[in-house]
Amino acid sequence: MNDAVLKADNLQTYIGHHHILQGISFEARADAVTVLIGRNGAGKSTTLKTLMGLLPPSEGVIVYNGMNIQGKRPYEIARMGIGYVPEDMGIFADLTVEENFKVAKLKEDEATAGRLDRILELFGALGKFWHAPAGNLSGGQKQMLAIGRAMVNNISLLLIDEPSKGLAPIIVEALIEAINQIKEECVVVLVEQNFYMASAVGDYFHILDDGRIVHSGRMEALVDDEELKSRYLGISKSKS
Amino acid sequence: MLRREQRKKRYYSIGFVLPCLVLALFVLIPFLGPSYKTLDLALKIIIFASLVASFDIMLGYTGILSFGHGMFFGIGAYCVAFLNGKYGDPTYFHLFLGLLLAVAVACVLALIVSLISLRVKAIFFAMITLALAELTIVLANKLSHFTGGEDGISISLPGIFSAAFSPGSFLGLDISGRVITYYFILLACLGLFALMLRFTHSPLGRVLQAIRDNTDRAEALGYKTFYFQTLSIVLGCTVAAMTGGLYAMWVGYVNPESTLEVMAIMLNVLLMVIIGGMGTLYGGIVGAAFLLITQTFLPDLQKLAIDLFPNASLLHTILERWLLLFGILFILVVIFFPKGVVGSAREFIARARGEAFFSS
Repeated sequence: MNDAVLKADNLQTYIGHHHILQGISFEARADAVTVLIGRNGAGKSTTLKTLMGLLPPSEGVIVYNGMNIQGKRPYEIARMGIGYVPEDMGIFADLTVEENFKVAKLKEDEATAGRLDRILELFGALGKFWHAPAGNLSGGQKQMLAIGRAMVNNISLLLIDEPSKGLAPIIVEALIEAINQIKEECVVVLVEQNFYMASAVGDYFHILDDGRIVHSGRMEALVDDEELKSRYLGISKSKS
Repeated sequence: MLRREQRKKRYYSIGFVLPCLVLALFVLIPFLGPSYKTLDLALKIIIFASLVASFDIMLGYTGILSFGHGMFFGIGAYCVAFLNGKYGDPTYFHLFLGLLLAVAVACVLALIVSLISLRVKAIFFAMITLALAELTIVLANKLSHFTGGEDGISISLPGIFSAAFSPGSFLGLDISGRVITYYFILLACLGLFALMLRFTHSPLGRVLQAIRDNTDRAEALGYKTFYFQTLSIVLGCTVAAMTGGLYAMWVGYVNPESTLEVMAIMLNVLLMVIIGGMGTLYGGIVGAAFLLITQTFLPDLQKLAIDLFPNASLLHTILERWLLLFGILFILVVIFFPKGVVGSAREFIARARGEAFFSS
């Protein structure tokens, strides 16, 4: 049985004249975290932007829950139940934490009832700053707000772009714990450079290099494969 | 119970008390200083405050720059002038129809410009409005048989608004058509301001701020940003046209120079929004008051200096160039209030309340 929630096939994406994605194909399976990993400029963030419709691909097919979503606008994709946390977090700095959540919530119904409580359970620190301008939060709190905000609607797929970037190790630990809980509720596709975090939450991995997927498999296999880590991720045995 | 407490707290807040005091001042101005100059200055502050607030809806709340706001102001003025001067007798119906026409024309034009420009990028809106505004001035001058050309159109107002109307006095104030027109325009601008406040404080206003902060992110959250930007533009331009119509009622005359001089009006509006503070709405009142009061009274300073210090010729020369003084004042405001007077005051209050002390 194929239990893929998201299926990308042969994605080709250009930014200006640069051919960034050169035939990306992968699946995100249900109840799992799929990690896209690779060096800077490999095309990881571009892949998420392409899936979200922010960078329409010139070729390729994206199937989400059995529907072809390629060519749809970002707002249509978001309304189909895909949450997206960009690399820069995209916090609305002038709005309060509460207003950030209110803006993100598209509709109030049974499916979304109680989601805010669940989010505050995951990221308790946000409750303390509920009425504070989001621009005044720390980097870790902003990341929590960005992830929480993407989950406020009834989503079944969450795309997260480098959540550990620039964060202190203790905050990264908190995020790992939160993502391990989130994956029980929805499918997660995670872009990550921090191998520690990727291996702590990931079930499947895809290594990207120069806009192509060069290796895929279960995360346990990558953890044990020193040669692969060294070649594509620049991680030597002593570092890992 | 909790709601009643919150409401009570709100009524005692500076954000509620201060606007009420300002409103009370404008209501009392005909009684306090019934000279034409005072009344004229007060009313222009009211009208320009509404015009600046409508510009702020687009720039401060949605992040859309328009160079055609002066054009919409002028279109509104001409609509009232057409129906109460050149093509119609002064009747209440024509006055109402003129204001309605201003709203309709502005609405349709704003919608067309939005549909053409926003599909590509928001910056095209600025370019298209600039081109359209220049075209409108040319048309207003060239189609003189229709618009009155450079001579413009004189406006007559009906019944209680006409200058000749004088039913008597009230608390020592001679009630005239001018005074009634003043209160009518004050009431209309208050309504427009309340509408804009309601709009920006609604969930819709929050979405607009989200679009201004990060358009891509707002779209990825599920918002069709084009629709919201268009809505903001249509509201901003419609209010601008309404204020233009009300301005025409007050000055009783429109010509391309006074109501369609796009760059002059736009420069004033931009200065007012910078002085008052972008994304605040109330900043429009502060900006308009600062600019119009200084523009009205600074030229009189030289006369005052001649009376007080008849031998200080250097002072007379300096005060003769009152625009230089205005420039210095403007620079001081920008230095001491980098987010505009209202924006900086809000930031100061927020900091005092301890909201800004988070580790980053």
